[in-house]
Amino acid sequence: MSSPDGLFTDYRLDGFFDEVFDAEGHCRPHYAPLLARLTGFTPDDLMRRTRLRDAAFRSQGITFTVYDEGEGIERTFPMDLLPRIVPADEWSHIEAGLVQRVSALNSFLDDLYVGEGAAIHDGIIPSWVVKSSDGFCREAFGIPVPLGARCLVAGVDLVRDGEGTYRVLEDNLRNPSGISYVIENRVAMTRVLPSVFADQQVRPVDHYGRSLLNALHRVAPPASSDRPTVVVLTPGVFNSAYFEHVFLASQMGVELVEGRDLVVDDHVVSMRTTQGLQRVDVIYRRIDDDFLDPVPFRTDSTLGVPGLMAAARAGNVTIANAVGNGVADDKAVYAYVPDFIRYYTGEEPILPNVTTYLLWDDDQRNEVLDRLDQLVIKPVAEAGGYGIVIGPAASDEDLATCRRQILEDPRNYIAQEVVALSRHPSLVEDHVEGRHVDLRPFVLSGEDIEVIPGGLTRVAMRRGSLVVNSSQGGGSKDTWVLAGAPGDGDDVAGSDHEAR
Amino acid sequence: MLARDAESLFWSGRYLERAEDTARLLDVTYHGMLETTPDEEALAWNDVLAALRLDGVYAKTGRPLTATAVCEFLVLDTTNAGSILSAVGQARENARTVREQLSTELWETLNSFCLELRARNLRADLEFQPHELYGMVRRQCQTVAGVAAETMSRDEGWRFFVLGWNLERAEMSCRLLSARYRQLSPSAFHQWMGTLRSASGLEAYRRTYRASMDPADVVEFLLLSRTFPRSVLFSLRTAENALARLAPDGELTRPLRQLGRVRAGLEFADVRELMQGDLGEELWVVEEGIRQVAASVATQYFSNSREFDLHSVHLMPGEGGRP
Repeated sequence: MSSPDGLFTDYRLDGFFDEVFDAEGHCRPHYAPLLARLTGFTPDDLMRRTRLRDAAFRSQGITFTVYDEGEGIERTFPMDLLPRIVPADEWSHIEAGLVQRVSALNSFLDDLYVGEGAAIHDGIIPSWVVKSSDGFCREAFGIPVPLGARCLVAGVDLVRDGEGTYRVLEDNLRNPSGISYVIENRVAMTRVLPSVFADQQVRPVDHYGRSLLNALHRVAPPASSDRPTVVVLTPGVFNSAYFEHVFLASQMGVELVEGRDLVVDDHVVSMRTTQGLQRVDVIYRRIDDDFLDPVPFRTDSTLGVPGLMAAARAGNVTIANAVGNGVADDKAVYAYVPDFIRYYTGEEPILPNVTTYLLWDDDQRNEVLDRLDQLVIKPVAEAGGYGIVIGPAASDEDLATCRRQILEDPRNYIAQEVVALSRHPSLVEDHVEGRHVDLRPFVLSGEDIEVIPGGLTRVAMRRGSLVVNSSQGGGSKDTWVLAGAPGDGDDVAGSDHEAR
Repeated sequence: MLARDAESLFWSGRYLERAEDTARLLDVTYHGMLETTPDEEALAWNDVLAALRLDGVYAKTGRPLTATAVCEFLVLDTTNAGSILSAVGQARENARTVREQLSTELWETLNSFCLELRARNLRADLEFQPHELYGMVRRQCQTVAGVAAETMSRDEGWRFFVLGWNLERAEMSCRLLSARYRQLSPSAFHQWMGTLRSASGLEAYRRTYRASMDPADVVEFLLLSRTFPRSVLFSLRTAENALARLAPDGELTRPLRQLGRVRAGLEFADVRELMQGDLGEELWVVEEGIRQVAASVATQYFSNSREFDLHSVHLMPGEGGRP
């Protein structure tokens, strides 16, 4: 393998699409400067720097909380020191695809909740599919969001298949998290491995807070002042993503509030300050729909604010992301997103979906049941990798159970082709091995749609695992988007716009 | 600022001061005890517990009044909300809920302090190197104070932090005197030294009073000094200054009036008169006054978070019931 001595000597591709090496084992041009810079580093050097970074994260409290037998344990999110690099032209393809997709999703949700439901009337998606979704929310009808920016923050999960084509796996339009790690990983990289940044033009990511605040200002209710009051609403210090909530509030310089800090009077939301009540215009909430307001939703919730939904309906406060977005996160509704794109933008989708089968359709279901052991079956409403059956890895028993469940409630499941996720060299103890990765870029909707260059690259740290979730032993990588093309003749496998 | 955030900063300051004062008190007592009889030892440890208003709580645990048992209770027992480990943990948890209000350096310093404390084998430290342990706690608390002073804007948050810190300090100094003044007979030279040393005041005292060990001088120094930052009067002045700036438009708020009265009582006090009268009673009045100020601060500034029962949540050992 053409690589610096030591690190990559025994590196194997195993037939997967590799982010760094092409099928012949040659380093892709946009990785050449990095690999040159890594010459001379031994795995031990890198491990030592990894430990430095872990210690720094711990003392800075950049942790997530895992609850084990009632006791909260603070863990750091592992970061692999070998960065993932996306060349400029590949990124413009991704960026255009994301802007197009989120724009269509905003249109669909606005059309559904405050519009005429045109997509349903015009037969783009059946009404019953929308209304049977867990994420569909009747309480969201008639609640306006300025500029129709319902997906104010989207964290779209992208995967690369065996050909290197970028495909959308999930849209994550409710409360996507991870942006704090994008920024902190970059800070950590520049501290523990500064030399590898030389000869590269890596696009910065630390303007996220400003961009987010701008977007939140733009969606303030029309009647609010020039300088609307924005707050971040957190479930509290025991939430596993609390660090990120703190991070966002401090990046924006706004108050981090809990439900009990807010009070609604006469359809106006205020926060309790040392000087009395102060009006709030925009709430960037990191609490799920169900817990937002005990009046229409869960009456047992103490995290939310009684009367909040009525205040939003009165147009006195904007809730971001908008209530009811979950309908578009439904994995069966996801299958219609390419049609939404064609319908609302008149364009062909730039980023394809993963091929998805809808199981209430007799033909599709029969095909799926014939090939159950070759497909992935997912419950439509679950997130975080729960309830997924991976056909090739499942036992006969699991497949039989899965078959029965599909026949009982075909609306509740979808089937997808297995995607052989691309791999990236990752540091594993004393050497480097290929590990499967995905990419979650963050997309902001305000006046315009903005994509933060890069995103969170998640790594399945266990050999052969396709599961990248942090709750399941996943790690992350700093993700570099290059400002200019590294040279001619680079092989951008994902930019050939080919759909399924 | 958010009422809840103000409250957290206030308590973060209080808990840190509590941890530091406890460490000072234990350090001095422990090393003063090395040459005493068991009876004297039990008496001295009871004084320590009394100064922390934990004597009643401790008696209920049924543990003996020995150095090992008392120190473990006051350092690493997490069932004791006033132990150093609990107090530092509470300071950190309170800071964590207002993390976005703090400078990164301040948060990191406090967080590292807490993590270091948790990582240590405190039982072994108490047995083999108590002085090193107490020194570490004192230094880390002072570092946090220094980093806070150097990095925090002088805004509302800072003032609540300073207010909590100094009210706790004033109250602790009062209690220390209450527990010790009866022993301040002219013959009890070492106890005085210890008392002064536990307030880090021995050198400053000597510069002012030279070699005098008149009890009145010690009381004057710890209670009424206008220059020593750990005296009750100095701490109350600092707290009052913070409180005055927190009052909207120079308004004379209830906690400010109460604090002003307590402070003025000391400002114009004469130590000879105090010594001739009932000093214990006087100290009790000051201590009670400080507690009322803290309660009024809660009503004035934190009560907007009214679902929370402030006193049940943040009740410190020794604070008794509701005012």
